[in-house]
Amino acid sequence: MAINVKAIKETFLRFLPLVLLIYICISEFHTQFFYWKIFSFNFQFIIIYYWILRDPSILGYGFVFLCGITNDVVLSLPLGTSALSYLFISLVAAYVRNATVRSTLFTDWFTFIIAIIIGNFITYSLLSKFSEIQMQYILMFYNSLFTFILYPLFWALFEIYRRLINLRTYD
Amino acid sequence: MSTSRDDFGIAIRSALLQRGAKQKFSLFVLILVSVIIFSLDNLNLKPVKILRSIINDSIYRVSAVSSSPIKFGSASKDFFINHLSVYKENERLKLEILNLKKEQLNTSYLETENKKLQEIVQLDKKSPFITVGAKIMLDKNSPYLNSAIINKGSNSNIKLGMPVLSKGNLIGRIVEVNFISSRILLLNDLNSRIPVVISPNGDQAILTGAGRKRPILEYLPENFQFEQSNVYTSGKDGVLLSGISIGEVIDNQEKQRIEVRLFTDPDQIFLVNVVLGKSTDAEAM
Repeated sequence: MAINVKAIKETFLRFLPLVLLIYICISEFHTQFFYWKIFSFNFQFIIIYYWILRDPSILGYGFVFLCGITNDVVLSLPLGTSALSYLFISLVAAYVRNATVRSTLFTDWFTFIIAIIIGNFITYSLLSKFSEIQMQYILMFYNSLFTFILYPLFWALFEIYRRLINLRTYD
Repeated sequence: MSTSRDDFGIAIRSALLQRGAKQKFSLFVLILVSVIIFSLDNLNLKPVKILRSIINDSIYRVSAVSSSPIKFGSASKDFFINHLSVYKENERLKLEILNLKKEQLNTSYLETENKKLQEIVQLDKKSPFITVGAKIMLDKNSPYLNSAIINKGSNSNIKLGMPVLSKGNLIGRIVEVNFISSRILLLNDLNSRIPVVISPNGDQAILTGAGRKRPILEYLPENFQFEQSNVYTSGKDGVLLSGISIGEVIDNQEKQRIEVRLFTDPDQIFLVNVVLGKSTDAEAM
C-alpha cells in the first residue's frame, strides 16, 4: 500500500493554521505577554477572525471552542471565558462573511475592531462579574490596540499562505 | 429601514445556526455549551472541581511538553546573550578558551540544572521549614495573571495558600492545587496581597502586586524610614509563616511610591520549595 505523501502534505498545510492556534493556546508562547513594556497582542483573535472569515473549512467552530477551553486552563481563567470570547469573534467573522459580497483588507480590518471589542468585553464582563481576578485595563487596551494594528501584517501573510494552499489543492 | 434590519437578522441567524461546510457544530450550540461550562465552573461543585483538576493536570502535562521547544529557544537565547557579553569583556581570552566553550555549549543546560538542584538540596538541609522541592512546568503569563505551574500537587501534601520559596526567599503562594500539579500566584501579580513586616523598625505593611516586576508597599506608617530596610512575612494573615525573607525596600521617586526589589527575580525561577510547615529544632539542625 503506497502512502500518498502528497495528500498528507496537502492536509498538513491545509490545517497548519489550526495547528498553530492549538499550539499557541496550549504552549508557553507569550503572545499575551509584554516583551517590551506595553507591547503585546492577541494572536488567537487574529487567527480565528481571519480564517473563519476567509476559509471556515480550515478552522472548525468545535476546535475554536476547544482552544478556548485549553487557554482557560493554561491561564487559570474560569472555564468557558476564552471559549465564549473566541466564539463571539467567530460569530462576528461569520456575520461579516454572510453580509458582505466582496471583502477587502479595509473591510476586514474595520470589522475586526468590532470583533476585538466584543471579544474583550465578554472576557472583561465574565472576569469582573464572576471571578475575583483583577485586571489592568490599560494593558488590555494596549493588547487590543496592538492586535488591531498588527492585523494587516498577518492578513497579508495569511493571504499569501491561503493562495498558496488553494493553488496546491487545485493544482 | 426595516429591510436592513431584516438583512441583519438573517445574517446573524445564519451565522449562529448554519453549520456550513465541514462544521460539525453550530456557533449557537457551542456558545450554549460554553455558558453551561462557565456556570458549572462558577458553582464550585465538588464533582466539577475534581473534573477540572483532572483536566488541569492533563493539559499542564501536554502544555509542558509542547513548550519544550520554546524553552530550549529561550535558554539558547539567554546563553547567546551571556556569551556575547563575555565575548566583549574577554576578547583576548576567547581565542584560548574557544574549544572549551564548545564543550560547555553541550553541557551548560545540564550544569545549570544540576547547580539549581544542589541549591535546592542545600536549602532543604538548612531551612527552618519543612519544604518540598518542585520544578516550574509552565510560566505562561497573561494580562490577567502572573503565575507559574509546578509539577507537585496534592500528592505531595501541597495545600492552598502555602508559601513558595526560591533560593530561600518568598516568591508567591499556592492558589490552585491539582493532584500532580499546582499553580503559584507570584508576588508581583495584581491579585497578590501579603502582610509583611519591615526590618529593622518592625513597621507593618501590605505587599501588593502591581503587575510589574516590583511589588509595592501599602498602608505604611507615617514618617516611614526605609533606608536599608528589608521585608519579611509577618504571618499576620494566619496563612503564611512569619519571618520569610522577601526583598529590600527601594524608593521609586519618579512614580512616588515605595517598591520592593525582590531577592529572587520572579522571571528567573526554575526550581522552587513549597513550605509545608515549620520544622522542629532537631530537623532544622
